[in-house]
Amino acid sequence: MAHVVLKDLVKTYGSFKAVNEVSLTVNDGEFVALVGPSGCGKTTTLNLVAGLTSVTSGDIFIGDQVVNDLDPKDRDIAMVFQNYALYPQKSVYMNLAFPLQMRKLRKDEIDRKVKDAARVLDMTHLLERKPRELSGGQQQRVALGRALVRDPAVFLMDEPLSNLDAKLRVQMRSEIKRFHQDLKATIIYVTHDQLEAVTMADKMAVMNGGYLQQYDTPAQVFAHPVNMFVASFVGSPAMSLIPLEASTANGNTVLTSAEGWSLALSPRNMRKVESASTRKIVLGARHSTIKLHKSAVPGSVPAKAYTVEPTGDVTFVQAFLSGAIVNISVSPDVAVKPDEQIWLEFDQERVHLFDSETEMALKAE
Amino acid sequence: MSIAAETAPRGQPRRGRRIDGWRWGGRIFLVFMLLYTALPMVWMLSTSIKSGFAAMQFPPQLWPDQPTLAAYQKLLDPQNSVGQDFLRFFWNSLIVSTATTVLSVIVAVPAAYAFSRFRFPGRNFLFFAVLLRNMFPAVIFLVPLFILMRAIGLVNTHGSLVLTYLTFGLPLAIWLLKGFYDNIPVQLEQAARIDGATRFQAFVLIVMPLSTPGIIATAIYSFIGAWNEYIYAYTFLSKNEQLTLPVGIQRFFSENTTDFPGLMAASFMMSVPVVVLFLLLQRYFVRALTEGAVKH
Ligand SMILES: Nc1ncnc2c1ncn2[C@@H]1O[C@H](COP(=O)(O)OP(=O)(O)O)[C@@H](O)[C@H]1O
Ligand SMILES: [Mg+2]
Repeated sequence: MAHVVLKDLVKTYGSFKAVNEVSLTVNDGEFVALVGPSGCGKTTTLNLVAGLTSVTSGDIFIGDQVVNDLDPKDRDIAMVFQNYALYPQKSVYMNLAFPLQMRKLRKDEIDRKVKDAARVLDMTHLLERKPRELSGGQQQRVALGRALVRDPAVFLMDEPLSNLDAKLRVQMRSEIKRFHQDLKATIIYVTHDQLEAVTMADKMAVMNGGYLQQYDTPAQVFAHPVNMFVASFVGSPAMSLIPLEASTANGNTVLTSAEGWSLALSPRNMRKVESASTRKIVLGARHSTIKLHKSAVPGSVPAKAYTVEPTGDVTFVQAFLSGAIVNISVSPDVAVKPDEQIWLEFDQERVHLFDSETEMALKAE
Repeated sequence: MSIAAETAPRGQPRRGRRIDGWRWGGRIFLVFMLLYTALPMVWMLSTSIKSGFAAMQFPPQLWPDQPTLAAYQKLLDPQNSVGQDFLRFFWNSLIVSTATTVLSVIVAVPAAYAFSRFRFPGRNFLFFAVLLRNMFPAVIFLVPLFILMRAIGLVNTHGSLVLTYLTFGLPLAIWLLKGFYDNIPVQLEQAARIDGATRFQAFVLIVMPLSTPGIIATAIYSFIGAWNEYIYAYTFLSKNEQLTLPVGIQRFFSENTTDFPGLMAASFMMSVPVVVLFLLLQRYFVRALTEGAVKH
């Protein structure tokens, strides 16, 4: 196993920058998820690490070695592809054996390792089949098996679960996590699904538009998103972002809505708002931190219910507030009807405040 | 499936009948086309086993009273001059067609792969330049190529034909194979390279085997083109011992105008390699033409 360091990594296609000055360190044995919307440069970043794409500028270290100019075969990595990329003409056995054959291992050694891997992944009975005779989930396992049969320094995975159905995805999620714990493997895992990143990874690197937005533990990213993009990308339903305007009355800073109401702030939040370069502030709140009231209570603001989605455990309500849509979760016994007038109360300790121009989270010095 | 089968007849009898009308029209048309293509071949075969006298008989017999293999014996007999010529032409054709096929595959496979996988300056221009040749009828190039071949001293060599046939066959071969490579996910090669293969090994060990149907189709196509070609072979070669089958048969039998069974027997034997090749490999040929076209 080895650590991986990306330093000011840039990849351009013509004048288009697919990856922009990305720097991050993946420690030995760490599971890092590279997460972001489609087209944000995740695959490109992974391919740079794999050596499938040439670096425009910057450095990639695997272990303590700069690998920029090494062929993929010399980087001691294994990769699991979104479409599995199993060799269609080879049996499962030969698919697993291929990386070992390429490394010129002895036949009996290959046989032993292939059978070990097959046993670990519980697919000994599939060894003679061709990939097209396997279900999606089985193909996924073979792809995983082909990666782990070689015991590489780093595992790279590009959306390995996104072609599976929802149930299998949840199951494989825990299996891969388990596999990471057992092997103490260094894993870079690409996904567009923030839930996968949050549930599986030690750290998540959120990307957007080729830029690394935030790199931290899922808990930190969830609790302290650095900007509006990360705030709305991580968490489901998404964090609600409500555009408001700061104004000061009687020495107290409040946030006012174009709808006429205003929201009082805690002293700490006041300091945050005062530090902004603009008076246009965006208030962010996660669904679970907003209280829904059927009548006005002190500190609450008026909103209008829009959709109501009971899911059994909780009911998700969407409401219009100051021109934005707000997600709220309530207990199933709260009866709300669409178009009903409701009042929302924000938890001052858990709201997020953003500068609407820089879109960065505001800090209280 | 079963649900559809149960409900369809009740709901739409009229529509079913109209479709049947079309289907029968299509079948009749196909039968007509089949007769149109197959009858001359039947005629060729039947004439080839007639005696010279029976071949000239009127009204003609579809099947001879006294079938004979005399024409075939004569053609395949290395002791007599007719047989010697025929066998030599056959051999010449085999050499030229095989050389064309082998070279065509050797050039088309890497060329198609490069057009499919790599982005390089002038890629589109080159690709269409390759196809440009096919926009003109072959005879247009007859005189220029003859002059060119004379200038480089290739007139009266089989090399002149091989070169010419390559320029005819390669564009389609490259086009067809490129479609094939386009449909092979690039991740397969990437996986192979990560698994320890060099770029070249990834191509040879993983991609090439997957494109076998395409390569076989390309080979058949080149072979048939070269095997049947007449005009260039007629123009570029003048020495009797070099002639290929199409020219040889024509020239030889214009001197023996009455030997129709001999002519038909030679024609039949000329078609044997192509038919055998096609029958053996048609599975791949069909797969090449359909897979290259549609698969994701
Ligand atoms: N070979 C290429 N040539 C040009 N643009 C590319 C190439 N590969 C990727 N891109 C562009 O780079 C961006 C990032 O792509 P990618 O890394 O595949 O995104 P994702 O985060 O969905 O994996 C996309 O806008 C894509 O169109
Ligand atoms: Mg991707």
